[in-house]
Amino acid sequence: MKLFAGLCRARNALQLIVWLFAGFVTLPALAADTLNVYSIWPENWARPMFEEFEKASAIKVNFVRFSSGEALARVIAEKNNPRVDVLFGGPVETFAAGISEGVFEPYKPATFVKLPARFKQADGQWIAIADDPLVFMTNDKFLKENNLKAPASWNDLLNPAYKNMLQMADARTSGTAVTRIFSILEVNGRDESKAFDYMKKLRPQVQLYTKSGGGGTLPVGLGQAGGGIFFIVDALDTKAKGYDVTISFPKEGIGTAAEGIALIKGAKNPEAARKLIDWATSSSMQSLFAKYKINFVPANPDVVVEASLAEVLKGAKLFPIDADYAGANRKRIVERWVAEVLNP
Amino acid sequence: MTTVDARAVTGVAARVRRDPALAAAVATLWLLLALFVVYPLAMLLARIFWDHGELSVAGLASVLTDRHQIRAFANSLLLALFVGVFGTLLGFLFAFTAARCRLPRAIVSTIDASVLLPLVSPPFTTAIGLIFSFGPRGLITYGLLGIKGFTVYGMGSTMLAETLTYFPIAYLTLRPMLAAIDPNIEGMALSLGASRRRVFRTVTLPLCIPGLANAFLLLFAASLADFATPLILGGNQFPVLPTQAYLQITGLFDFRGGAVLSFVLLVPALAVFLLQRQWVGRRFYVTITGKGAGQTPFDSVAPGVRWLLLAACIAVASLIVYLYALLLYASLVVALGANHAFTLQHYRVIFTEGLKPIHDTLIIAALATPLGGLYGVLLGYLVARKLFPGRRSMEAVSMINYALPGTIVGIAYLIAFNDPPFVLTGTALLIVACYVFRYGPTGIRTTIALLQQIDRSLEEASLGLGARSGTTFRRVTLPLILPAFFAGLGVVFIRSMTAISATIFLVSIGWTLITVKILENITELALGPAAAFSVLVVVIVFVVIAGIGRALRLLRAQGAPPVTSMLGGWSRP
Repeated sequence: MKLFAGLCRARNALQLIVWLFAGFVTLPALAADTLNVYSIWPENWARPMFEEFEKASAIKVNFVRFSSGEALARVIAEKNNPRVDVLFGGPVETFAAGISEGVFEPYKPATFVKLPARFKQADGQWIAIADDPLVFMTNDKFLKENNLKAPASWNDLLNPAYKNMLQMADARTSGTAVTRIFSILEVNGRDESKAFDYMKKLRPQVQLYTKSGGGGTLPVGLGQAGGGIFFIVDALDTKAKGYDVTISFPKEGIGTAAEGIALIKGAKNPEAARKLIDWATSSSMQSLFAKYKINFVPANPDVVVEASLAEVLKGAKLFPIDADYAGANRKRIVERWVAEVLNP
Repeated sequence: MTTVDARAVTGVAARVRRDPALAAAVATLWLLLALFVVYPLAMLLARIFWDHGELSVAGLASVLTDRHQIRAFANSLLLALFVGVFGTLLGFLFAFTAARCRLPRAIVSTIDASVLLPLVSPPFTTAIGLIFSFGPRGLITYGLLGIKGFTVYGMGSTMLAETLTYFPIAYLTLRPMLAAIDPNIEGMALSLGASRRRVFRTVTLPLCIPGLANAFLLLFAASLADFATPLILGGNQFPVLPTQAYLQITGLFDFRGGAVLSFVLLVPALAVFLLQRQWVGRRFYVTITGKGAGQTPFDSVAPGVRWLLLAACIAVASLIVYLYALLLYASLVVALGANHAFTLQHYRVIFTEGLKPIHDTLIIAALATPLGGLYGVLLGYLVARKLFPGRRSMEAVSMINYALPGTIVGIAYLIAFNDPPFVLTGTALLIVACYVFRYGPTGIRTTIALLQQIDRSLEEASLGLGARSGTTFRRVTLPLILPAFFAGLGVVFIRSMTAISATIFLVSIGWTLITVKILENITELALGPAAAFSVLVVVIVFVVIAGIGRALRLLRAQGAPPVTSMLGGWSRP
């Protein structure tokens, strides 16, 4: 009996704990006209798009940003109980990898028939909202100090001046990196041993493999790194921020990856999700790229490429990344890259 | 305690039957421990050793034979060893200077305040400052010294950042210990003709050995578990296990591989924890509560040495203050390194677009803090004062999540609560539970330590003098454990605001955290908002901890732990 009062308190406290816990499980219930999205696009581009969509549709978009690998990992992990309705943005090889995991629900918006084959999956498992070529981006001051011209060939990056001065993305987390690796494979005629030889030679030049695709842009802008391989959208964004960088393309060619959108299988808000896909694949969204200074090339043929972007792209040799080939080989190639290039 | 044990062994079952409140409390705690500690760990082990319906060690073997992973493991141990050694040395330097150099109070307080900064901020703030300063175009390496192509990423900088981040833990554990050593002993040795150096070597240092070992083990464990610093500073030349496990899961969506990697980490972590607990943990508690009787002023340090020590401390403290000043500066300029025009834009960004993580973090901290404080005191009280079957195992189980590196706990929660029967991923509950069961144990240890110092006879005397049990609890027991409650509150709050290693796996569309957002900003290179978020966290934590500290001082009982125990002296980051 002694200290009985104390234990009564303890018991009350425990009840409080249980109630609080129980109450909290039911808390994140959501209203009817909302939509949950994993965005692979960085927040500063995704946010204005979703705000415009909210204005146009009165559907509230909750989104959280992950790099493509993380986003896909989550979608796969949540397969039995999806938390989001749409996977938004990100290179199509990520979407292709998702197809083999069976996480998408086919949907063909009105724009579907208009798009060329490389901008859509035949069953409608994903559809492109933009096109994004890779580029070389170098720091002007670095080029000048080392008496270099902007790199115009993949082999230019092997110049000793670049030793320990490049930054590019880590293939374990970034779709930019995977697109880069598949570009190198394409340039070498899909001869894996040749491509990996090149990547091994490039390895000592790389100061840091960053977690996200655009991770190296600011260091290059600041001159912490001399250059790197990035998506044009990140590179032009760096330039627009006022950093002195030069954008160039290799003469052997470089990959361009379509940016996709997909409906998640088992989505809790499928109708709202379809509306977002309709909107994002139409000119309604893609004509907004210029307004928000987002330098994606529109996938929808009805939208004109913004003049300054078209100017940069003039004369560049670009080839699309084959989503099926990339999707089928992604895991194996990334693992090989980790084993042979990253940690030799 | 032992006499009580002997007396009561036979009566335990009967007691429980007579005391239904006790039975209910114990049952509830066991239920919670089973759900949030045992079950996730069991699921993690199952994922590692259970392959297609049969027991298999293939997953583990594949890691243990992969030389890259072995290198990451070796790197982790090496890093922890260095951080342990250098952090302890640095902590001892500060503790010795503060306790023995008879410095003016103002100087000691200033040093204290700067040294405590790393303990109340997100774990990678030092790392950001180092990149700003020592990167290839860093303010110091390039701007000041003109060194070109300096590589900041790698083992050296990771070590430096972790040492600066964690040595305050050593300082906080060593200082009370040094203060508790009676200077009269040193004085006697000195008056018997020994030189000051000899006194230090043969008297002071040997007395400190348990404390030094304890500090080393705490730092070793902290570094072993640290995930954010190597992720930012380690680069590609210096992979460590927690980072590898994170990338394995988030980048290659390989849950099993991540689980296996984190399991490898479990072995040294538990070994260190048990060593610390069995060997020095108990001595440690005795020493800090021992009161030196009648200390006489006495110069144990020669004046010249005193200035040397002070200069060394000021140098290190200045480096820390510089790194944080840089952080504040980075949050107030357009783009550090490129455009140094003043702006409040980054704060505007975090209070508009970044409002959700701030809001979510505060809600989660506001829930986890009282629950964690309550949990710590309740469990500590029951274990120390009540007799029920299995109370020792209850204490042991409650320590598991605290002893394990955050990466393991996060991965275990992700695996366990992603599928039925307990689908909790994506809820705030899971993050709250993670904090309560991971950081609440500091409150448990403090409560037990406090109650062990005070004999039960105190409560029995109160009862014997006619006070009712309610009065006894209120007037005697409660004041005794209140400091532990507040210390527990402080630890859970600080960690809820700053931890990332476990909860990075648990954030979701519904609930996200400031620390995760900071990391996201860093990888996206939005360094301004990252700096602004970090400054905000430091300010919030300082304000709340100052409030709790004030409450603690008002309620402080004899033998209560110092306010600083909230900051991690006994806890693990």
